[in-house]
Amino acid sequence: MYELEINHVSHRYGDYRVLNDINLQILPGQIVAMVGPSGCGKSTLLQAILGTHPPTEGEIRADGVLINKPSRNVGIVYQQYSLYDFLTAEENVAFGLKLDETSLPSRIFSYRSYAKKRQVHLRKAREFLEKVGLSSAMGRYPAELSGGMRQRVAIAQAFILKPKIVLLDEPFGALDETTRQELQMMLLKFYQENLKAKQRGERPEYTIIIVTHELNEALYVADRVIGLSRYHTQSEKGAMIVYDRPCPVFSPDDPRDFSKLVEQREELRKAVFDESYIKDHNKYVSFWSELAQDSQLAATAAANQPAPRRIR
Amino acid sequence: MIRRPIPRWLAIALGVGGVVLLLTAYSILSARQTRKNENQRVIPGWQTFKEGAARLVRPQGSAEDPQPSMLATDLKATYWRLFLGFFTGVALSIVMGIAMGAYRFIEALLAPVMSFLAKIPPTAMLPIYFVLVGTDQKMFTAMVALGVFFNMAQSIYQAIAGEVKTVSIDKAYTLGASDPEIIYEVIWKQILPSVLDNLRLQIGPAMIFLLAAEMLVGGEGMGFRIRMESRVLNMSVVYIYLTILGLTGLMADYGLLWLRRWLCPWCVR
Repeated sequence: MYELEINHVSHRYGDYRVLNDINLQILPGQIVAMVGPSGCGKSTLLQAILGTHPPTEGEIRADGVLINKPSRNVGIVYQQYSLYDFLTAEENVAFGLKLDETSLPSRIFSYRSYAKKRQVHLRKAREFLEKVGLSSAMGRYPAELSGGMRQRVAIAQAFILKPKIVLLDEPFGALDETTRQELQMMLLKFYQENLKAKQRGERPEYTIIIVTHELNEALYVADRVIGLSRYHTQSEKGAMIVYDRPCPVFSPDDPRDFSKLVEQREELRKAVFDESYIKDHNKYVSFWSELAQDSQLAATAAANQPAPRRIR
Repeated sequence: MIRRPIPRWLAIALGVGGVVLLLTAYSILSARQTRKNENQRVIPGWQTFKEGAARLVRPQGSAEDPQPSMLATDLKATYWRLFLGFFTGVALSIVMGIAMGAYRFIEALLAPVMSFLAKIPPTAMLPIYFVLVGTDQKMFTAMVALGVFFNMAQSIYQAIAGEVKTVSIDKAYTLGASDPEIIYEVIWKQILPSVLDNLRLQIGPAMIFLLAAEMLVGGEGMGFRIRMESRVLNMSVVYIYLTILGLTGLMADYGLLWLRRWLCPWCVR
């Protein structure tokens, strides 16, 4: 089963076609980076996946459930305004648990049992904050936190409910370089946890779509990159997925060596961002065939020497 | 230099100095006026104030049938009307403001009408209250309540539009919130500081509406007393009432400021 399925999604604003026949399947535990020129419809697609603005054609399903309004199946972290000013860091993280597990009447009329649950929620929130390296900031309000700390809290807030998939909408766009690197490392750690869960035969917890305009970041944190663009032969119908390929997986301990990304970065830039390079939209969409090839290779390699080229 | 900070002791001393200066200036003015005309009552001396105050707190009625003093009757009437009107107006405006801020169809239906009604001076609407509600307690309540209601509902509605981001609401849905939960847990908590700030701003207008109504009709209350006493030039009583009104506003202001600090520790500005 796919964690997210986008089937024949098109979107138009009046006569203007934004998205054309988008098809995408995402497996549990994947971290997918989405890139594209500004104005290409990334936000429209993101809003459709979130459920705030359902597409004019086609359907989107999270774990088989149709998405037509925002729900706890799809989480989101925005570049800003993700946190509630009036809640402390730990209350912000526990907010989802409170909304999801208790109701407004039960909080008022059976206060005692709510108070007990509240303790559990806050403890879980503190545990998650420790995991993202924020044990010192639990009781502080968002206004008292730095940009990087706020994004960590926002990420904890989105993931604590274990949604099917979490959308990160340019989450590190407003941060300085050092903080940005720290948060990228955090995503790599999440990916390692996914791999461990898979080895144990469990469902991985962190399935992510990250929208970013930094190509290095996209290739560094993700295991799969998709590019959304209008620069293809059916350009007048709207943007399509013109790039969908796996990319190298880094472990948090690896050096940040972007030199091995150069080739793919240039390919990505050409395929998605080069206005003059008009091609069939399927030319660089090869994720699934490469995956099949890989598993075949792995099967043969397993007989000789155990070293799969890519871990997924 | 502009905005150069001053030490705290100096700030306190200057604050006290301002009050002393006001009282001294009054004493000098009063003394000069009295030199011109010994029986003047426009700027009465402190002795006259004492006599006026004594008259205000003296119990009314006869020995067999004692009645509360003038001051007690007036304060009770005015404060009760103010509280009742203010409370009703604020409660209604919170409901209406949130409904308009949260639901687009209520906003489209009511926003134009509300902004029109908010522009009519409430004191000019008095004749309508006479006709529709009568001249008893209900009229004073309606006067204050409606005077506060239109402005306050608009402020709350605008606070929601400006301070509650759509992404915060969408985010709450992704965390499993229901509509009532979004209204209480997100919208209400986000705008609470603005609501309290607006309450502070509305205390002044509320007192204007009430005093104006009391000056026109009614047999008790501070507005009524001020008009009656000023007719016979009992300015000492008038000044005492004005001071009480000023202190009332000041205390309500500080009370709400304290409430805001207590309820919204996250919002310091």
